[in-house]
Amino acid sequence: MVCIRQATMDDLLAMQACNLMCLPENYQMKYYFYHILSWPQLLFVAEDYGGKIVGYVLAKMEEESSEPCHGHITSLAVLRTHRKLGLATKLMTAAQNAMEGVFGAEYVSLHVRRSNRAAFNLYASTLGYKIHDVEAKYYADGEDAYDMRKQLKGRLIHQQIAHHHHHHHGAGGCCSSETKTASASSGVNPSSLEGKGSSSES
Amino acid sequence: MLSQKSYETKQYKKGLKAADAILKKFPDHGETLSMKGLTLNCMDRKSEAYELVRFGLKNDLKSHVCWHVYGLLYRSDREYREAIKCYRNALKIDPDNIEILRDLSLLQAQMRDLTGFVETRQQLLTLKPNHRTNWIGFAVAHHLNSNCSKAVDILEAYEGTLEDDCPPENESCEHGEMLLYKVSLMEECGLFDRALEEMYKKEAKIVDKLAFKEQLVSILVRLGRLEEGEKIYRSLLFMNPDNYRYFLGLQKCLGLDSENAQYPAEKMDQLDALYKSLTEQYNWSYAAKRIPLDFLEGEKFLEAANNYIRPLLTKGVPSLFSDLSPLYDQLAKADILEKLYVEMEKSLRSTGCFPGREQKEPPSTLMWTLFLLAQHYDRRDLHDVALAKIDEAIEHTPTVIDLYSIKARILKHAGNLAAAAALADEARSMDLADRYLNSECVLRMLEADQVGLAEKTAVLFTKDGDQHNNLHDMQCMWYELASGESYFRQDDLGRALKKFLAVEKHYADMTEDQFDFHSYCLRKMTLRAYVSMLKFQDQLHSHLYFHRAAAGAIRCYLKLYDSPFKSTSEEDNDMSGLPPAQKKKLRQKQKKAEARAKKEAEEKMEANSASMTKSGRKQHAKPVDSDPHGEKLLQVEDPLFESTKYLKLLQNNSSKSLETHLLSFEVNMRKQKILLAFQAVKQLLKLDESSPDSHRCLIKFFHKINNSPDPVTNTKKLISSVLEAERLTISQLQGKSLFDVNTTFLEKHKDSLMHRVAAAEMLLLLEPDRRPEAIKLVLDTTNNNIPLNEALGPVREWKLEDCISVHKLLKSVFNDSKAACSWKTRCAEYFPYSTYFDGCKSSFVSTEASNSDFNVPENGGLDHQPLVGGNILNGSLHAFKGLAI
Repeated sequence: MVCIRQATMDDLLAMQACNLMCLPENYQMKYYFYHILSWPQLLFVAEDYGGKIVGYVLAKMEEESSEPCHGHITSLAVLRTHRKLGLATKLMTAAQNAMEGVFGAEYVSLHVRRSNRAAFNLYASTLGYKIHDVEAKYYADGEDAYDMRKQLKGRLIHQQIAHHHHHHHGAGGCCSSETKTASASSGVNPSSLEGKGSSSES
Repeated sequence: MLSQKSYETKQYKKGLKAADAILKKFPDHGETLSMKGLTLNCMDRKSEAYELVRFGLKNDLKSHVCWHVYGLLYRSDREYREAIKCYRNALKIDPDNIEILRDLSLLQAQMRDLTGFVETRQQLLTLKPNHRTNWIGFAVAHHLNSNCSKAVDILEAYEGTLEDDCPPENESCEHGEMLLYKVSLMEECGLFDRALEEMYKKEAKIVDKLAFKEQLVSILVRLGRLEEGEKIYRSLLFMNPDNYRYFLGLQKCLGLDSENAQYPAEKMDQLDALYKSLTEQYNWSYAAKRIPLDFLEGEKFLEAANNYIRPLLTKGVPSLFSDLSPLYDQLAKADILEKLYVEMEKSLRSTGCFPGREQKEPPSTLMWTLFLLAQHYDRRDLHDVALAKIDEAIEHTPTVIDLYSIKARILKHAGNLAAAAALADEARSMDLADRYLNSECVLRMLEADQVGLAEKTAVLFTKDGDQHNNLHDMQCMWYELASGESYFRQDDLGRALKKFLAVEKHYADMTEDQFDFHSYCLRKMTLRAYVSMLKFQDQLHSHLYFHRAAAGAIRCYLKLYDSPFKSTSEEDNDMSGLPPAQKKKLRQKQKKAEARAKKEAEEKMEANSASMTKSGRKQHAKPVDSDPHGEKLLQVEDPLFESTKYLKLLQNNSSKSLETHLLSFEVNMRKQKILLAFQAVKQLLKLDESSPDSHRCLIKFFHKINNSPDPVTNTKKLISSVLEAERLTISQLQGKSLFDVNTTFLEKHKDSLMHRVAAAEMLLLLEPDRRPEAIKLVLDTTNNNIPLNEALGPVREWKLEDCISVHKLLKSVFNDSKAACSWKTRCAEYFPYSTYFDGCKSSFVSTEASNSDFNVPENGGLDHQPLVGGNILNGSLHAFKGLAI
């Protein structure tokens, strides 16, 4: 019926199209590039029998050393025409497993519109997320967001590493080795990739 | 140097002050002048920046800083070739400057100067061998330059530099990625045994277990170690039983794969058994149940389809039809499915159960069955029956939104685009929070050429209310394409071009997007993803959206060339249909709107510049669009020259598409580029010699050659001799006059409408006197029934869109209104819902449509709505509700 698999580069344009078809939070292509070139393990698509992308999950790792290593769901969408197949659950499960298995994430977070009951129910009842916080006026149109989290079993080996964030490489915990480049070059065209392509975080 | 430091930390104002302080004492100091220029560049003072940087360079030609800065300036303007030259000059002065070398390597990667990239990367590694990224960068450079085994050697050498062959412990993810990259390189250059050995040896160090298994199984299969492969595929299925690729991989390992899904009986049984056991193991996997429908036949197919479909109907899965629709390519299966659906419908109606069952189905099962049937009949072009089914479903449960969406789609296929748009709008209004319904509605509106309404609807989901910018900023290409195509149909070439070029711009931006990742990915070690991104970029312009945009733009330029842009005074004629009072009103309105837009633009501009000076930093200042309606785009001097830019991209990236060469033919014939036009003809014949369009181009081309005056200049003589030689290579032309070629073509395809029309058109071209004969050729075509197993009425061969284009040809090329009229009457019978042909079942809709006649250039926006009958939206909805049969 629908194939669930890791996304490849060739899926990105279709993922963007799928996002623009069904969600109010949209991103430029560069933001999709940023995700797949940072955490290729965390992007999954649902592809129908004719090869059309009918759903996707776009996820990332949060790499600030101030917080424990955790994942974040940037965006999740399934076309209205392909509901009732459990695709969202399957996509989310795949991304969560990768966060845990590859990066040793301790938990995964996401934001959801207060008014989006269907999505809230999916996260709370089916997937076991809990409300962690409410972020007032999080969305561009002024709506509040629930900050939801789900605990994962971060791997022991990864947890150990997470404490080494003072290491000279260590911008991040488990999943980063950002080295600093404050050269003249990066000044002209600041390579602060994050956020550049996004209209708003979700 | 303070100014440089301030620049790097983006304290531009401070930097500027520091620079000015120095310049006060040494006004000719080259490097300071350069730095000041670079700083100004970041504050969006472009022309000053270039002036200063050039002046600085002039004062200090021997300074690598000045050259470097000049390069950075070009780079910031995406002038990469110029930037590379500057860096090279800087390196002549300071050959070992790491920063400049690194900057140069980024540009070489961006421009795919791969030999240069390898050289620079080698230099960097030689200078700084203790940096990880320099090893990795050197390896990647060799890989990109098609030297896989060298890349492997470099990575192994890098591993040798690690203590105890172990990465620092917080880099285990990255190290694992590096190993996976290395193994994939080994696979790429055919070192399968070594790759396998390496995988087993390093298994513990590869953190990404999914990638490990997928890579491992790929190598095992290449080595023919299928039993081991089978085990891995089974474990992958255990991890994810919804991945089709794993199922196919498993089949291959079991010797049960086939290129064309044709299996001998014995293998078929094995396959059947395999999937039965997989279904038991993974009963929540739809894939295990769906895949067998592809290879099973006859009775077994019937049984499997039955078992597959029933629970999905009970559950009410809306995508069931689209899931089954690939099976319709096999006629026998489509017939079996129809029988199945009909039996289910009958049984559900009479007993409330599926055939042969006692268990009562919920009432919704019948509704979903009707939903499935409606789509089935739509697919078979039985629009009457399809509409009857969907209307019954709507009557059964009027609250299910999907029913309205599908009804809209059926109406679209049946030829009533306005009704389709109204239905989609009704669906939208049933759940205003659902953007998918909104998008679908917008698309239907654009297909019905209701651009203004579509814009107004789309804007409901864009945040700042400034719809244009938002949809554009977010690269919403389906919207831009659909509205560009609508504007084109309405002959509004300016706005059409605007949209098509917007899409082209998105692709240029995506090419640009890769720049930051050349350095980022080396640090991040996502090397496999990085290399595949570069490959993706190399064929970015072959993507379908780009193709549509480029083809659309070329068509606009062709039209513009054929009938040059009308000045505004002539445009008044467009309003000639209106009474004078309304005309005056309209004009006043336009003037007011223009004035308002101008004022708004100015205010925005001011606000932007204000915010810039305040922070001193480059804000996300949106430049105001000075040509929102594409009027300036129409004033190009040489439309054909413009079109060539896009044509080249199509030729380089979509050479397998007939349309590319058709457009090339049209452009080059107009440009009198005879040899290029001939190339297009040759490509067309190579791709599809039986296509009516290929035939048209062939005849048109040689007709033109035959009727050209004898060549006088040397070039013309040369061209003509080339063509004479080439003529002999085209089999169609051998020993025949063009008239005979045309006749042969007609004989060969005499039952096909579009082929006959092409032949008729060419007959008219070759022998204008035989016009009646040509028209008779068109009109005498019969619309045969398709041999189908149907009791519900005949399905005929002709397609609606073909018939519409024939009608347009009869009116324009054949210039025979009587023939066009009789064609229309005939087609109205075949397509009763078609508004184009005024079919009998489209009649009450067409009164609405005539209302909107001068609503067509409504593009101007919503301001005009009240003038042209704002009741269209509301009015039409009521009308369409009565569309039930």
